[in-house]
Amino acid sequence: MSEKQEENSVPFYPDHFNQEAKVALGFGILVVLTGVLGLFFPVGLGAPADPMNTPIHVKPEWYFLFLYQLLQFIPKTIGATSPVIAILLLAIWPFLDPKPDSTKKPFWIRIWVSAAIILIIIALTIWGEVS
Amino acid sequence: MKSLYRKIFFAIISVSILLFSAAAVHAYTAEELELSSQMDADQLPSTAPIKPENDTCLQCHVDGSFSNIWTPTIRWVLFGAAGVALLFGVARSASVWKTREAWVPLPERVINYLDDRFQLTDFLKPILSKPVPDWQRRWWYCLGGLTFFFFIVQGITGIMLAFYYKPTPAEALASIQFIESEVLLGSAFRMIHHWSANAMIIMACGHMLRVFIMGAYKPPRELNWVSGVMLFVMTLAFGFTGYLLPWDQTAYWATTVGTEIAGSIPVIGDLALVFLRAGWNISSLTLSRFFAIHILVLPLITLTFMGLHFIMVRKQGLMKPL
Repeated sequence: MSEKQEENSVPFYPDHFNQEAKVALGFGILVVLTGVLGLFFPVGLGAPADPMNTPIHVKPEWYFLFLYQLLQFIPKTIGATSPVIAILLLAIWPFLDPKPDSTKKPFWIRIWVSAAIILIIIALTIWGEVS
Repeated sequence: MKSLYRKIFFAIISVSILLFSAAAVHAYTAEELELSSQMDADQLPSTAPIKPENDTCLQCHVDGSFSNIWTPTIRWVLFGAAGVALLFGVARSASVWKTREAWVPLPERVINYLDDRFQLTDFLKPILSKPVPDWQRRWWYCLGGLTFFFFIVQGITGIMLAFYYKPTPAEALASIQFIESEVLLGSAFRMIHHWSANAMIIMACGHMLRVFIMGAYKPPRELNWVSGVMLFVMTLAFGFTGYLLPWDQTAYWATTVGTEIAGSIPVIGDLALVFLRAGWNISSLTLSRFFAIHILVLPLITLTFMGLHFIMVRKQGLMKPL
């Protein structure tokens, strides 16, 4: 308890709550603006689905696009299995790396690793988008 | 003196509202009577008296024979509110007069009523007065909350869309066209649902990166990380199942390719393919299945894991970085 009183803090209510409410309000306004935009420029629809007629460029949504682009270079079996393994690895990661940080070094390693992964994903997504 | 002025002021306001509402009701009634008698005159040459069911009334709005429902609704709400305010003022004055005690505001009464029964203050006080240290008040701690915010937005707009959407190959596309062209604010709700889905995925990725970079997944918070990964998978599954629902060319073929990729996983591939497509091919059953997963299965699982996620973070607190 004494530790808590030493550091600078504000009460959850009303100070912190009000700040969070302002953030929610700001994003709420953004959401409403999106809706207003949608009144004038609707999302729209493509041609009706036709199982007999395959379009030339079939692309998934942007968040699956990097996986799709990855599949162009690696065998299909590996490409389909790797996301499952990646998610499983992600889920058990805390059990593989349980030691609490004692220095700043692991923090910087994690920053660089995630920056590299993000850059690869962004590059693959853009590549998939333009190809 | 000041209170006397206030009383005179409110008396004048109340009397004028009363007079104005009486005048408005009279004008409204007179106009309607005139209109209906004219209509009768057009249809029937004889000057028959107006039948009770042709008379102007609230029932005409209820049974839909009167096309403009908004004008009378606004009048009823406006003058009704004025009347309620007036009654409240009278009741308040009478109560103060009778009890000789200061008036307790209504919100406080509600709080006292609930507190007497459920002891809410004892329960909420430690939660609300909990100190939030300055290091926790940074923007990167907002990302998880914003994911939840966009999930709520998705829930509300999704319910709105589900009122009109029909999950059959013959009608799916047409029903969405109906939503965009005919339904009041339908295109706005679809636009919000579309972009808020993207925002939710971005926020979830951001939150996950923040937790990973800071090493907040380490014990004792490892189970919270596992539930977070689960929620992330659910978010992606929402995107994948929702993408088929418009049933246009892009949706159909993106799902064809997506399920095909799932089908090429060794050992469980065929099972996954048949489960996702509800058969070997994409059919109307696939659409029903994706719809059910999108609006029933995934929200239930997501809400469960979100509850666990929030309870765990509440219990364990945030990890303080070095």
